[in-house]
Amino acid sequence: MRYRGPRDVLEVDLTTRVVRRYALEDEVFAQTLGGVGLAVWLLERHLEQYGPLAPLSPQSPLVFAAGPFAATPVPAANKHALATISPLTGLLNEGLSSSHWSVALRRCGLAALIVTGIAREWSTLVVDDGEVRIEPAGELIGASPRETTKRLRERLGDRTLRICAIGIAGERGVRFASVENDGRQAGRGGSGAVMGSKRLKAIALRGRGEVAVADPGRVAALSAVLRERAMGPATAKYRVLGTGANLRVLQRMGQLPTRNFTGAVFEGAERVTPEAARESRATFVELRAGCAGCPVQCEHMYVRRGRDRRAAAASEYESVWAFGPNCGVDDLDAVLDAIALCDDYGLDTITTGATIAFAMEAAERGLLGDEGLGTPLRFGNADVLRPAIEAIVAGEGLGALLREGVRAAAARLGPEAESFAMHAKGLELPGYEPRTLPTYALSLAVCTRGACHNRAASYDVDFRRPDAPLSDEERVRAAIEIENDAILWDSLVLCKFVRGCFVDFAEEAAALWSAVSGLELDGETLKRRANAIWRAKRRINAALGWRPADDVLPPRLFEPLRDGPHAGRRLDAAELERLRTVYERERGFVVPHPLAPR
Amino acid sequence: MQIELFGMARELIGEPRIDVEIETPATVDKLIDALARSYPQLLGIVIDHDRSSLVEPNVLLLDGRRSPGRDELFDERDRPCLLFVPSGG
Repeated sequence: MRYRGPRDVLEVDLTTRVVRRYALEDEVFAQTLGGVGLAVWLLERHLEQYGPLAPLSPQSPLVFAAGPFAATPVPAANKHALATISPLTGLLNEGLSSSHWSVALRRCGLAALIVTGIAREWSTLVVDDGEVRIEPAGELIGASPRETTKRLRERLGDRTLRICAIGIAGERGVRFASVENDGRQAGRGGSGAVMGSKRLKAIALRGRGEVAVADPGRVAALSAVLRERAMGPATAKYRVLGTGANLRVLQRMGQLPTRNFTGAVFEGAERVTPEAARESRATFVELRAGCAGCPVQCEHMYVRRGRDRRAAAASEYESVWAFGPNCGVDDLDAVLDAIALCDDYGLDTITTGATIAFAMEAAERGLLGDEGLGTPLRFGNADVLRPAIEAIVAGEGLGALLREGVRAAAARLGPEAESFAMHAKGLELPGYEPRTLPTYALSLAVCTRGACHNRAASYDVDFRRPDAPLSDEERVRAAIEIENDAILWDSLVLCKFVRGCFVDFAEEAAALWSAVSGLELDGETLKRRANAIWRAKRRINAALGWRPADDVLPPRLFEPLRDGPHAGRRLDAAELERLRTVYERERGFVVPHPLAPR
Repeated sequence: MQIELFGMARELIGEPRIDVEIETPATVDKLIDALARSYPQLLGIVIDHDRSSLVEPNVLLLDGRRSPGRDELFDERDRPCLLFVPSGG
């Protein structure tokens, strides 16, 4: 049977305004699945043609690839991947976003959309079913993604247009700018800066095509089972509490990175946890949101009662952690405002918070002054969050230093600053304490994207069995299995919040894939596909200059934790090196000559 | 025995910690069974209906950092916590 579902790729060169549309063969879908797998495959073909590219160079591509279950009855699956060369890391950056835009991409008949070149003026790309237009976007400059969406819908006379856009941060080339659609973000790694470098403010989609599946009856039956499970206990914490509930748990575990990872227990945690807002209904209003077609509706947004509800901010754990504990700030209003400001400007909340935390420590050490922010640049000063974010976007004063992320800022401040620059390969660490999580530490070090908690999710092993005496081989195999599972989730693309809804993920996911696509695969084959996609990611990074010696973690993690129940614990450099050696042996990846034929 | 609660367990019971009537020292199985009897609202969401295990992603850790063995005896000085495995997305 042939692959069912949209198979076209639309390539748009903004420099030449040449548009090309072509269909992919069945074999591409059979090998890459879709989502991240397809985006990585397309990016690799692009690099084979153009050679290694600087992230913000004209030929550096934005590759959007739809999840193969988007616009089908499969729940929690209206998602797409966005792959770029990261201006933060210089390496592959494959992120995800979701909701209506993902659906519209497939309803335009597209499996993927590739944008290259640089427009002569600020532009909007409009894909109107089969028609493609590049329209001026000058009047949208300075607008937030939300405002851009509103104005574009008004201008084009269609309230149902699906739009992804960058904010001011992307326009101005902040290297951790995000791309937003439907209130969701492809946040990490600076894809918004790549989009901004092309003078592309937004991409508007109007897709009215039907998306076929191979076996509608089987898809309906499998989707019904998944939907029922997704309304059960496995997702209760996301539905009822949201990921912000992680904060109390990590605090209790003594694994809540605090003040730029100088500690692992935050004395103000209870004042800043989103659960406290939830429990204070007299003080905060809770609003709920979620992706199209998802029964979980995981987004829990809060705003202080009496304020405009449009100021409500998402309370995702990573965002709250980044501006709260990691900056030593215990003022939930200030944290929520910082998150909302990042969403308005189109900034990645994790890197923005981590970068400010880095600057706070630099200032406390005397490496920086207050940099004209009007308030002390110190841990715990909630008042400094807003001016620091505004400085980053303005690119002035402190912002000129911070707008390229922690790695670049530390390089400018010197060796002392590099000792507390919390990043891996240029991507700032998320909110888990690696010193207490040895499997996760390995995964962070080797992750192709840098310090990404969604790709390097092996903290799960460490949390479940914190004192388990695993051998190096067991730890490495767990890390690889979780990495490969993440690739399947990201290629199929299913939301990881339904991870607990599968009994045998590979087999059940293969059944879904087969019913939707018409290309029969079993679970074992699916796992082999994940491994092949991982190898493609590594090949791209190798072509972009990555070498195994780059897979290192920040020096601070090899110093003992100062506080909490795990005080004294640190990463053992020899152990990590041993694990990396076993990892490389198990993976069996040999760094190819850059751009050598595969 | 006093138990600290987090996530859905705390949400369902409405308290950050509870006292469970149970002979101590106890095993994990005994504690889960006692919890299920005292707080039936946990059944199906935090504790399996068979009352012998926790529903994913809930876990019981001692002092928030150590997983007790199946037959290990512990009491409230070990500070049992009913938590969940943190995860992001």
